[in-house]
Amino acid sequence: MPTSKKLLEKSSNLKMNKYFQVAKNTWDETVSYRLNFVMWRIRVVLQIITLYFLWLSILPKDTTFLGYNQSLMLTYILGTSLLAAFVLSSRSYSVGDEINQGNLSNFLIKPINYFLYHFARDVGDKSMNIVFSIFELTILFLLLRPPIFIQTDPFFLFLFLISAILALLLYFFFNFLLGLVGFWSPEVWAPRFIFFIVITFFAGGLFPLDILPKSVFTVFQLLPFPYLLYFPLKIYLGQLPLFEIFKGLTVSFIWLILMYLLVKFIWNVGLKLYTAQGR
Amino acid sequence: MLKKYFKIWLLMTTCVSQIAFLSRFGAVLFIIGKFLRFGFFLLFLIILETQTKGIEGYNLWQVIFFFATFNLIDTLPQLFFREVYRFRSYVVSGQFDFFLTKPLSPLFRSLLGGSDILDLSMIFIAVGFIALSATRLEGITGLSIISYLLLIANALVIAMALHILVISVGVLTTEVDNTIMLYRDITQMGRIPVDVYREPLSFLITFVIPVGVMATFPAKALMGLLTLQFMMISFLISGILLAASLAFWKFSLKNYSSIST
Repeated sequence: MPTSKKLLEKSSNLKMNKYFQVAKNTWDETVSYRLNFVMWRIRVVLQIITLYFLWLSILPKDTTFLGYNQSLMLTYILGTSLLAAFVLSSRSYSVGDEINQGNLSNFLIKPINYFLYHFARDVGDKSMNIVFSIFELTILFLLLRPPIFIQTDPFFLFLFLISAILALLLYFFFNFLLGLVGFWSPEVWAPRFIFFIVITFFAGGLFPLDILPKSVFTVFQLLPFPYLLYFPLKIYLGQLPLFEIFKGLTVSFIWLILMYLLVKFIWNVGLKLYTAQGR
Repeated sequence: MLKKYFKIWLLMTTCVSQIAFLSRFGAVLFIIGKFLRFGFFLLFLIILETQTKGIEGYNLWQVIFFFATFNLIDTLPQLFFREVYRFRSYVVSGQFDFFLTKPLSPLFRSLLGGSDILDLSMIFIAVGFIALSATRLEGITGLSIISYLLLIANALVIAMALHILVISVGVLTTEVDNTIMLYRDITQMGRIPVDVYREPLSFLITFVIPVGVMATFPAKALMGLLTLQFMMISFLISGILLAASLAFWKFSLKNYSSIST
């Protein structure tokens, strides 16, 4: 007879295995549409090349720009590209459509946590994007030989990893929240379109945010967006004092808690309104 | 003939516009989003120009003029050829068969079957910034203005040719969405003058994938920085591309399997 402890362990393993399978299926799904995926990756590489050459032209060797020399700036640009593959790749954009088409009902009647299901899909998507980003950046590195900065201090690398994980979770809840608009409106893509544009600029993917005027930058630091790309990369570059790092991690964590509570609240309110319209 | 096609275009554009404004909330958000995208990148360019030695030696107003011209050339095809973004669903669902059986050019129907009125707002913004920055440029002559307008028209011909290539690929493979977005990403490289990019990339995006001819050459012509030789090459490139895209379109139609119906 299996003991209750063993049964509990087995049940827990099954649960984990379930979400692992979801992540794996997302990976397989991406591989199935190879042409789509290849086109998507070409687009990502083009975006990196555009920014890379722009900064290379603006910052020739032996020049500095507001505290950035060529090496630090190019590391920032290539680093944000790699980090974006980890933080900003997501599959939870389908939440809004699932609500609008009534497909959410399928999940509500299954023994599955809808949040974990989408998080598992995100993990599958992110792992695929990271693998390809590393591959592409290696090729770009071999072709362009950029003078990049390699952080060797394990302490900074550890803090960078912590901030990147916080960014990943924060972005997940942001994305999920936008999907919940579907409870109230069929127009789920327009808010996402604006969000994506705001993120491109405010997260620091185009340029390091500290080149903005100081007053503007101070306001930006209170918003959640800089903690998605800019802040982790600044930790990696070793350009922030310890106090600033811990302050940033605290702000990032507070935003994460707030977003989690907000998503939970909106989800509960939305579920009461949900009519499974479209089924 | 032209009158008939114009009437059809007007009718279809009216229908598509009514659909676009069915959700006014969404339409307003999309327009705001486009303004924000324009504004954010403009701000980025201003920061770069004011805090550095400049982009390839161009001054701030020249950079703004390049950017505004790019936006005009980027938005006009989106306005007129928006149907291309919907083309995949026509092929996959089999609706494309109906395009082929009607007494109307299937190419016209596939390219111009419903223009996107939401893009008009961006056209006004782009033209406004072109006019504003042009007043700050030196050395503009009547000839340079004519050259600019001719090269803008030339850029639209290139854009049309590339859109024809995209839908031709769609007819053969049903892949449209990523191809058109790839075209958009490549053209985004023209937001800044293509001189910025190093060789051989600069050559590739000027003459092979003619982003430079589309986005940078018109602005350079107005500033008097483009020789007659390069202007002639631009017209030659657009002519070759258009002929090639039309030939590829015919080839794709001949090989269309109508598998969805």
